[in-house]
Amino acid sequence: MSNKVLTIKDLKVKIGDKEILKGLNLELEEGKVHVIMGPNGAGKSTLSKTIVGHYDVEVTGGDITYKGNSIIEAEPEDRALEGIFMSFQHPVEIPGVNNTYFLRTAVNARRTHLGQEELNAAEFLKKMRVLIEELGMKNELISRSLNEGFSGGEKKRNEILQMMMLEPEVIILDEIDSGLDIDALRDVSEGINKMKDGKRSFLVITHYSRILDYIKPDYIHVLKDGQIVDTAGPELVEQLEKEGYAQYEEK
Amino acid sequence: MRLENLNTVDANTLLKELNASSSKLEEAEAFLKLKAPSKKSEAYRYFETDCIVKKDYEIVTPKESTFSSDKDLIIENGKVVSAPSSVTVEIKEFTQTDKEHFDSLYYLSHIICSKVIVISINESLAFNIKHILTTQKDQLLSYRVVVLTKANTHSTIYETIDDKTDQSLVIGGYDITAAKDATVNFVTDRNYSKSGCIVFSNSYRVEENATFNLYTFDYASNNALTLFRAQLQERANFNAKHLLYTRDKAKSGTVSQIIHRGQSSHSNQSTKNILDDNSRGIFDALIKVENSGKYTVAHQNSKAILLNEGAYMASKPQLEIYIDDLEASHGSTTGQLDKAQLLYLQSRGIKVEEAKKMLILGFANEIIDSIDNKEIAEKVHASFETAYYGTPKIECMQTCDTCL
Repeated sequence: MSNKVLTIKDLKVKIGDKEILKGLNLELEEGKVHVIMGPNGAGKSTLSKTIVGHYDVEVTGGDITYKGNSIIEAEPEDRALEGIFMSFQHPVEIPGVNNTYFLRTAVNARRTHLGQEELNAAEFLKKMRVLIEELGMKNELISRSLNEGFSGGEKKRNEILQMMMLEPEVIILDEIDSGLDIDALRDVSEGINKMKDGKRSFLVITHYSRILDYIKPDYIHVLKDGQIVDTAGPELVEQLEKEGYAQYEEK
Repeated sequence: MRLENLNTVDANTLLKELNASSSKLEEAEAFLKLKAPSKKSEAYRYFETDCIVKKDYEIVTPKESTFSSDKDLIIENGKVVSAPSSVTVEIKEFTQTDKEHFDSLYYLSHIICSKVIVISINESLAFNIKHILTTQKDQLLSYRVVVLTKANTHSTIYETIDDKTDQSLVIGGYDITAAKDATVNFVTDRNYSKSGCIVFSNSYRVEENATFNLYTFDYASNNALTLFRAQLQERANFNAKHLLYTRDKAKSGTVSQIIHRGQSSHSNQSTKNILDDNSRGIFDALIKVENSGKYTVAHQNSKAILLNEGAYMASKPQLEIYIDDLEASHGSTTGQLDKAQLLYLQSRGIKVEEAKKMLILGFANEIIDSIDNKEIAEKVHASFETAYYGTPKIECMQTCDTCL
């Protein structure tokens, strides 16, 4: 029987005055790839924001437990240090903050949290250079400011680079496929697949099935009007492609 | 001597009070016209003027002596201690003062200083100026530096201050001329003491086709003000970038006038201000385009981050334009750290306090990294980190162009 690494129970969330999540329930199993699909405005991004502790969201009910402990009150950095990672749909640009300096600070913060020794500059760069080559990133990006002037594809690759360097345990990919050309989608997907080790769990939020040609899902969840309204195996994708979300109008 | 008392005397008496030569009569008249700084002075409205005018000071005069040869130009309490052999340094009278300066202390310091330090740059070179200041309670030190460049030369000056002043007043300044077709890069990197009051009042002249790149890095816990007036001749370029970091109860910043006098001259002035505790940042800057300044390009921008509710930014970018054919803009923003950027760093496991520091460093780095001379940029990085963290913090990540 699979372990439940992250459990979301009866989650109710507001952004501003609007209730977005209305009693959402979801369990992420260890080592599995969960995909969330749903129409625009269903609450997909709100769900990912809530898991990482975004300042936009106000949790009005329910709970999220990670490895058995509630994380609802935890600071975003504490969730990250514990192993939750989110790839942002729109990664922010931070001028003046060197990409490598930032990432090494983050990696060493996590290593310290896990009781591991920090990586020195040489060890860190050696590891990072291997990964940037695998991801098809330009070498110059590591000396630039964080995401500043990066193309959409470069930003998404940079998110995956961070994910691979940080080695998280729960990975949330919020529309990682949006704005990617075919080559970038393949490189990004390969990076994600390399992280699959039978223990890490993935929550892939997407509008389109094309990324699922590269990342094989275990479960498809349909999120509509703030709730999970259907859960099934990968076969559900084909059905959704054909019928859309109208079939859930009566549910 | 109390500076506010000088407002009520005539020019000749003023010169007598200050033991100044009668050749300074024009400067004395200019001082009396502008009056000693007060809350009503245009140039000092946001600054703390009591430490300038309402205290009794004893004027300390730099003693003239010989100096040794060294790689750096070292000036200790206004006296040249050493100078590089690549430049000519003389202590002599200077009569070509800026006749239209807006700051009374510019004229006062020229009156007090019977002689100034004149640096003549005759070839392309780079050198450092280090000011050592140790004036004590109730002392008033005034000294001035004149930099004259030769046409077609390219010079870079990196200036630092070792400021150990204590409850004293220092009125200093530069008169710098970038000669025709010359380039002057002037980087000032100043970490001020906690209890002195320092005013640098400068005049820059940028001749035809010359370029003057000014970078000022000011870290203040007390009252320190830089004022300058820059005159741009035909096709002159003037780029000014300022980084200000204030804390405690400091009042500090830049008050400036950039005058576009010649046709097709360009200026670009931008400032970044990081204000902590109950400090006040000042950016009171005018760009004036005269009738003769056709086809001017002039841009001005101020950004400030307030780290504390008690911090305050007095930002006043101004354009005064007398012609139609030009391109000009100005803007000013003051706010907190960007929440989205902060969350992004936190979401990667960086603690909120460390994330804030990282964003501050990034904000400052945008100015520091724009210095072409990478050796100087590294020094400024270290000085900013020392001012901000208390120690140089960021180790080499081997990701610069040299290492890659």
